[in-house]
Amino acid sequence: MTQEIGHGSFLRRIAIMVGAGHVSGINAVVIGAAKAANKLGWEMVGIRDGFDGLLYPERYPDGGLLTLDTKLIESLDPNAAGLLGQAPRVDPFHVRTVNEDDMVEEVDMSDELINKLQAENIDALIAVVGGRGLTIMYKLHRKGLNVVCVPRSIENEIAGTMVSFGFNTALSTTIELLDRVRQAAQAAHKIGVVEVLGEQAGWIALQAGIAVGADAVLIPEIPYDLQAVASRLQDKVTVTRPYGLVVVAEGAKQIVGDGKPEGKASSLKASLSPLATGDASGHVIRRSGKAAETVANGLQLQLAEETLPMVMGPWVRGGAPTAVDRQLAMAYGVGAMQAVKEGSYGSMVAFIPPNVKFVPLAEAINKIRIVPVDGGFVKIARSLGIFLGSES
Amino acid sequence: MSKKNVKPSAPTGIVLNIQRYCTHDGPGTRTNVFLKGCSLRCKWCGNPESIAFKPELSYDPRKCTGKEACGICLKAPFPEGTFYVVEGAADDTVHVNWDLAGDCDEALASLCPEGALEMFGNEMTVDEVLEEVEKDESFYRSTGGGLTLSGGECLLKPDFSAALLMGAHERGINTAIETACNVPWKYVEQVLPHVDTMLHDLKLMDPERHKKWTGVSNKRILENYKKAYEAFPDIDFIARTPLIPGINADEEHIRAVLEFIRPHKNVIDYELLPYHRFGLGKYLSLGVKYELEDYKTPSDDVVKHLQAIIDEAFGRTGEEPGGTK
Repeated sequence: MTQEIGHGSFLRRIAIMVGAGHVSGINAVVIGAAKAANKLGWEMVGIRDGFDGLLYPERYPDGGLLTLDTKLIESLDPNAAGLLGQAPRVDPFHVRTVNEDDMVEEVDMSDELINKLQAENIDALIAVVGGRGLTIMYKLHRKGLNVVCVPRSIENEIAGTMVSFGFNTALSTTIELLDRVRQAAQAAHKIGVVEVLGEQAGWIALQAGIAVGADAVLIPEIPYDLQAVASRLQDKVTVTRPYGLVVVAEGAKQIVGDGKPEGKASSLKASLSPLATGDASGHVIRRSGKAAETVANGLQLQLAEETLPMVMGPWVRGGAPTAVDRQLAMAYGVGAMQAVKEGSYGSMVAFIPPNVKFVPLAEAINKIRIVPVDGGFVKIARSLGIFLGSES
Repeated sequence: MSKKNVKPSAPTGIVLNIQRYCTHDGPGTRTNVFLKGCSLRCKWCGNPESIAFKPELSYDPRKCTGKEACGICLKAPFPEGTFYVVEGAADDTVHVNWDLAGDCDEALASLCPEGALEMFGNEMTVDEVLEEVEKDESFYRSTGGGLTLSGGECLLKPDFSAALLMGAHERGINTAIETACNVPWKYVEQVLPHVDTMLHDLKLMDPERHKKWTGVSNKRILENYKKAYEAFPDIDFIARTPLIPGINADEEHIRAVLEFIRPHKNVIDYELLPYHRFGLGKYLSLGVKYELEDYKTPSDDVVKHLQAIIDEAFGRTGEEPGGTK
């Protein structure tokens, strides 16, 4: 990283970028970081659309870097989304491009990225990223980049911090929508089966399920027995209460019997897909809606009740941040600038109540903050009579 | 254009797989040789392991016995941080951090005692490939089959492909290639002299839509096809479309393809390949996100309707088997 710090009349020049995927509260992080920088007499710039503003400045008539001066920051709405914009994928080690021979290829532009940061006299980067982004920033840090990460996550699965910003907004929106589904199911005398975000961790499903009083909540951490879920629903859905609500995290796993492998592949299959007959072909890839569909169809087959599968999925990502997320995001922005001030590079800002701390990236990656199966929220849910997919 | 008889130097290729007893990629019973490396990024791609040129790691979690029973990949010489176990999870299955897996090679993968780690792709010489292909020579003779070179994009390695196909011809083996032809024309004209049948993709006819779904315009592809039809009149050309609802599984596309190919008499057939999800599990094995995960396979009625249009264009009656795969 550059030793020649400073730009113009400023002591230091710090950049902030946002990883792929929208999470409510991003502007609040930018505001927090920029205000803290300005107070230190440092210049703060935002990189547009992930790293694109830096790698492809020619695409931006007004410049790929946005100076986050006091005037701009004071007028910025923390409720609004994405001042800096976003790129669909942000991985400088594998940048998809079309070469001079008009062929698509992925190229490693990490060196070029670091060189461009140096050329812009940027001496530290704040990266607002999710789980995979942390690994990418870890790799950039190993190449010499001074980077501090701010954890953002809908699922709240990032380890090392008690909460990532974006989670509370998604949780609140999920609860609001689940309330509506419950009312609709009640009116229609159906069982609503709602898939919510949570590929690896079931925090949203569990906490929202508790809040709305779901009949069953299925999360990735507790494999579910569909027959047992049906049995529990049978008890709950009665003539006097002719509806039900099942919340399913998208990563919920069904307990399978013998796990029989796929049958022999057809010759067409072998022809079209070179390794389709090999062992690697047996996995089932999850797609949006699959979890709800599996549970809803399974319940409808086992119960004399109509089920209504719904997918909330990514739609809860949008909207204004909740009060919790706004102040958390603002605090993370300030915390990131504090880490830069202290020279705690290669770290992630973490909220470990009551403090904001800095966790080394090496300790934040390769860990997932899952729901402890014997933890407090699981106990609360069971105490409320919410079925969690299996009896224990 | 006359067939060349100049033997190129002995190059090597990264072979993804050699699949015997295939019956859908050219005449008779065939051996398909899949090369790694592609110049398109079709969002529906069923063969993600064929996209990169280099061999790459794959991981099958079903074979992993976990940290307690094994845990070899969690220690040196495996790169630090590449493999990990989720603390507090119900099982101790190993997970892969794909962003840190780039340094894994065949030697490391072979250390996994359960075979959960494998490398997709082996470097092979022309003779090594031909040795495999020749094993089914008797089938080729009895069925009119032979070797089909596929990918990835086999034309991206013209030296290897030309040498392999020429070697097959020298052994009396019929040759076919399966290509999307997004390569410079000089690659095409280097390989085609050694080809008997060319299966070629016409994925989308509109350049902008082609770019949206595959990453590049089809301008050069269509130009290459036109040149190939004219420069190599002795080759049997078979057009193909991977049929994806909402993208190209419609009458307009089929008629546009027919309009493009029918003036050329050496285009002997047009085959539909209804979109399949066979390859989806491999995305998981490679840690790659599948971009078209919510698309469905086309219905039988749609396929039959589109096939009928093709049969009519080729003057076939409804009773005759069409080209649908």
